[in-house]
Amino acid sequence: MTTPAAPIRPDGEVKLHGAALYGTDLDVPGMLWGALVPSPVAHGTIRSVDLSSARALPGVVAVGPDDLDRLLPPGPRDEERPLFPRGEVVYHQQPVAAVAAPTAAEAVRAAARVRVLIDPLPVVSDLESIFPDWPGPEAATSPHVAAHVHARHGDVDAEFRRADRLVREVYRTASVHQVALEPHACLAEVTDGRWFVRSSTQTPFGIREDLAALLGIPESSVVVEGTWVGGGFGGKGAPLLEPYALLLARASARPVRIALGYRDEFRLARTTLPTVVRMETAVTGGRIRARRVRLLLDVGTSLPGRDFATGYSIGFLLGPYATATFDIEGYAVRTNKPPFGPHRAPLAPQCAFVVESHLDHVAREVGEDPEEFRARHLWTEGDTTPLGQTVGPFGLGAAFARARRTAERWRREAPPGHGVGVGVGFWSTSTGAGGEVRLRLTPSGVVVEQGEREIGSGSVLAGLPAVAARSLGPPRERVRVEYLDTSTAPFDSGVYGSRTVGALGRAIDEAAVDLRARLGERLGGAGPVTFRAVGDRLLARTGGRELSVAELLTPEERAAGGLVVGGRHFGRPGAVDERRVVDGTFYAYRDFTGTAHVAEVSVDRETGSVRVERYAAFHDVGVVVDPASARAQVEGGVAMGLGTALTEEAIWSDDGELENAGLKDYRIPTLGEVPPVEVEFLEGYLGAGPYGAKGLGEPPMIPVPAAVALAVREACGAHATELPLSAERVARALKLL
Amino acid sequence: MTYRPTRLEVNGRSVELPGLPDDERLLDTLRWRLGMKGTKEGCRTGACGACTVLVGGESTLSCLTLTKELDGRAVTTIEVGPEDAVVSRVRSAFSAAGALQCGYCTPGFVMSLAGRLRERGAAASREELLEALGGNLCRCTGYASILRALDQLHRGAP
Repeated sequence: MTTPAAPIRPDGEVKLHGAALYGTDLDVPGMLWGALVPSPVAHGTIRSVDLSSARALPGVVAVGPDDLDRLLPPGPRDEERPLFPRGEVVYHQQPVAAVAAPTAAEAVRAAARVRVLIDPLPVVSDLESIFPDWPGPEAATSPHVAAHVHARHGDVDAEFRRADRLVREVYRTASVHQVALEPHACLAEVTDGRWFVRSSTQTPFGIREDLAALLGIPESSVVVEGTWVGGGFGGKGAPLLEPYALLLARASARPVRIALGYRDEFRLARTTLPTVVRMETAVTGGRIRARRVRLLLDVGTSLPGRDFATGYSIGFLLGPYATATFDIEGYAVRTNKPPFGPHRAPLAPQCAFVVESHLDHVAREVGEDPEEFRARHLWTEGDTTPLGQTVGPFGLGAAFARARRTAERWRREAPPGHGVGVGVGFWSTSTGAGGEVRLRLTPSGVVVEQGEREIGSGSVLAGLPAVAARSLGPPRERVRVEYLDTSTAPFDSGVYGSRTVGALGRAIDEAAVDLRARLGERLGGAGPVTFRAVGDRLLARTGGRELSVAELLTPEERAAGGLVVGGRHFGRPGAVDERRVVDGTFYAYRDFTGTAHVAEVSVDRETGSVRVERYAAFHDVGVVVDPASARAQVEGGVAMGLGTALTEEAIWSDDGELENAGLKDYRIPTLGEVPPVEVEFLEGYLGAGPYGAKGLGEPPMIPVPAAVALAVREACGAHATELPLSAERVARALKLL
Repeated sequence: MTYRPTRLEVNGRSVELPGLPDDERLLDTLRWRLGMKGTKEGCRTGACGACTVLVGGESTLSCLTLTKELDGRAVTTIEVGPEDAVVSRVRSAFSAAGALQCGYCTPGFVMSLAGRLRERGAAASREELLEALGGNLCRCTGYASILRALDQLHRGAP
């Protein structure tokens, strides 16, 4: 008897029949429609927010800063992040009040009736207008600086003085948006002191914690239930609309839905903002002797102490390259934009573009083969990274070698005018963030009970059952995932950081070991427990003795719906060698994974327009847990990376207004622009996930802009130092403009 | 003159829409008046294709279509049952190819392909099927699995 293969997508049927309900689809009787009242300017002093005309409309509820004390418990609220600003607005469209009305149209009308008087203040839109030159020591205390990080090792100046060759360059990268096709949306209800919100979120528990702090209510009173998520990519990991929806629900005593229109999705969502990077590299005798890296990162209105991006991303600028002597320094620069937010592999693709393009350029300057030069400096297992982490099993060298062989073949086959580029990148899976699951063994199968919703990658609905089936042993189609809200689910950190299968998979594995041991005892046989499905029953066997699970459960367990066993995984955080840190907080990478990509492009020599013709991706993943999902992650991540490489750029005016807020002007890759992607996994360099798996959600994005930029250089000689490589920028690099 | 409400046939079922505002879009009629949430709201500007449905068998952006102008027409959405052989074929191809991730764009892709297959039948070339998806954006799949589904549809064309 053969077991029918599990479908590639366990959620295929529900989604192909239009039965999956996302945050935007939530709808309950008596619901009001919420809308935010936006600041009309990016910076200014609030003179007044007058809600009376809005409140005069029938059925309208309006809330502003003066209503918080009336509507919220007296407990302390996060003063740093007030729901509505009292003194100044600091970015365009910042919510200054919120309204709810019986219909969407009435809500829009009511929001427009709120009279907002603001005295404009000068707007800082461009980080280079604050720091046209590299900031001096006085900048550390500038009100425009949210964070400063600095680390060094060895004597960079001495190495620079005696170098054969010193190469200095400046790079710039653009702000890119997640562009999940589902805009942010949620539905809130407040009843009997229970603050309940359903939301398409990547982090139900993270949102619960934040909502409690923002609203000043105990965490135990907040319940978050995830819905299907119409794409996350990092953009749905923090509360955005939920506090306003809850506040309006509290004020109206009705359920309140808020969903962003797509234009506002662009203007309000937290995402990756622009960077300026200076790279200086000294080479002596074919070896990199010293590097100086300077990062200016636009963090919008991120608060001091809340910037995660600078100390996180700056390590990517050194790249996966041995660098004994270095000096790296970064400033998080505040501008009048929404706070910086994570976007799939935050800033890593941009940093990989910079370091790969720069080292390629350095190699050319010293007359070396650029790929050979980079390969010579790659980290290998056992190396210590510049910030002091030990590199564990690491398949980057193998991936790079495979990529170079493919590149050589493509170069032989490529028609004139085409160019081939190889870019590499590394990533550190965030399995350190903890999580728990429960496995419920029932007479017919196994249920994975947990609190995360499927965001599309397959990590929850395909990855977790794959681990449960492999670790416990029942046929995979007998494993089901059950979503729970935060009042009943075991804790988890969220679906982000390429961590879900790694961390929750380890938790499942732990529970499975426990469950098998208990069943083994009950069966009384020797050896491992195995399962088989007969009809709708699940049978367990060990050492020749087989019983149905129904018979193995106690009466109490049968009454309770099964035997429940919990598993947890809280990984150890990495450590930074603090002797090398001068200032600030650096992120300790660990569980290194590597990836190398090959792009073949053609460049229109008259317009500078770039077309990607072929693409191949080589990934160190430890082990592949679910082959179809793994391949799909790479295909999707490459396409997203092509957007960052070629077309995607959020553009702010000098007034701090987003000029291209919408899918017509902000261009993501279309079907005709994404080439076929050859995908190859290199297994055996084991990581911290179950069976040695490493995360794969983010790595496929990382080398894409680098591979494309290097292919463009080979195709036409254009050395691009800015992302995206729009036709205009390539034309400029070719001196066509 | 007697008032007669706008009528549509939605997935084979006749519906009357009394009190329909002149400016209501088909997307909102489906989602909020008829409670059919399978058709997704993305950009509302015709740029993403997530809201694609069939009107009289032809793929149509429901976010740019006024319901009132469709009086008497037949509308097909992703919720249509297995009696719609063309939509069922597209579903099977997507399922077999695993041609979806978050699923938010999926109804639009399915309906765009179904519209082209209904229009061109067995004669639909691969290029014609590709062209039918020119207005559909997907952020998750990189289109690769969708193209595998498309190739299956093309090869399996009756």
